[in-house]
Amino acid sequence: MIGLGSYLLLSGIIFAIGIAGVVTSRNALKILLSLELLLAASNLSFVAFSRFNGDYTGQLIVFFVILVAAAEVAIGLAIIVLMYRHFSTIQADELKDLKW
Amino acid sequence: MDATPFFFYLFAAALVLASLTVVLARNPLYNVLSLVAAIFALSSIFMLLEAFFVGVVLLLVYAGAILVFFLFVVMCLNLTPEALSTTGQGHMRVLGWLAAALFLSEFFLVLKSFAWAQAVGASSVRGTVEAVGKVLFTDYLLPFELTSFLLLIAVFGIVSLAKGAFKTK
Repeated sequence: MIGLGSYLLLSGIIFAIGIAGVVTSRNALKILLSLELLLAASNLSFVAFSRFNGDYTGQLIVFFVILVAAAEVAIGLAIIVLMYRHFSTIQADELKDLKW
Repeated sequence: MDATPFFFYLFAAALVLASLTVVLARNPLYNVLSLVAAIFALSSIFMLLEAFFVGVVLLLVYAGAILVFFLFVVMCLNLTPEALSTTGQGHMRVLGWLAAALFLSEFFLVLKSFAWAQAVGASSVRGTVEAVGKVLFTDYLLPFELTSFLLLIAVFGIVSLAKGAFKTK
């Protein structure tokens, strides 16, 4: 029988991969994709807790997280497209206009 | 015989492999497509946890809408290899993977101290549309309505961003 620990460990592995992706990638699109991985990992632990605690709240939080992620991705991609138009690059570390 | 462990390990392996590809592949197209695969595997794990409604919503919204949006942007940007070059970031890469390993080991220690100690059995919670909908439209009605405002504000933000883009052209 697969217990709560296995699901949480899987969620932790995915979260660690997502952290590595956010920190190591320079490509803004890839950073956004890695953020999606972080959200997916936390969704997995919410659903696992919901299942093992006998409470629907975890699944509802996942539902809201999916909705918020949709808004976040839409705006993030719009910003990336604007960034490409202005600087003709999507490398995050080439945006240093605020640095002085 | 219970087939859950077999499917759990199958989908877990697929999920980990797909997420590694998301982070490691060079081509943005492969990044997006492997995230689609990861979302499919995650949705299957949700089904194993009997969270049917959330699993299907995840599949529809993520694989159906968000990642198609990602694909459109990848294709519209028409990225050249120079725009995607990864030079001079060796130390950041090492630091990033070090941070991930540190997080994972801490997580593992925390997990070992409590989650496996108390063997919690699975409850009889089944995330059907009826059950989730009942809670959603009674206890969580206000947050549910507020998310529609959030999406409306997101639409306003995107329209204003796109408008500025056309003005500067």
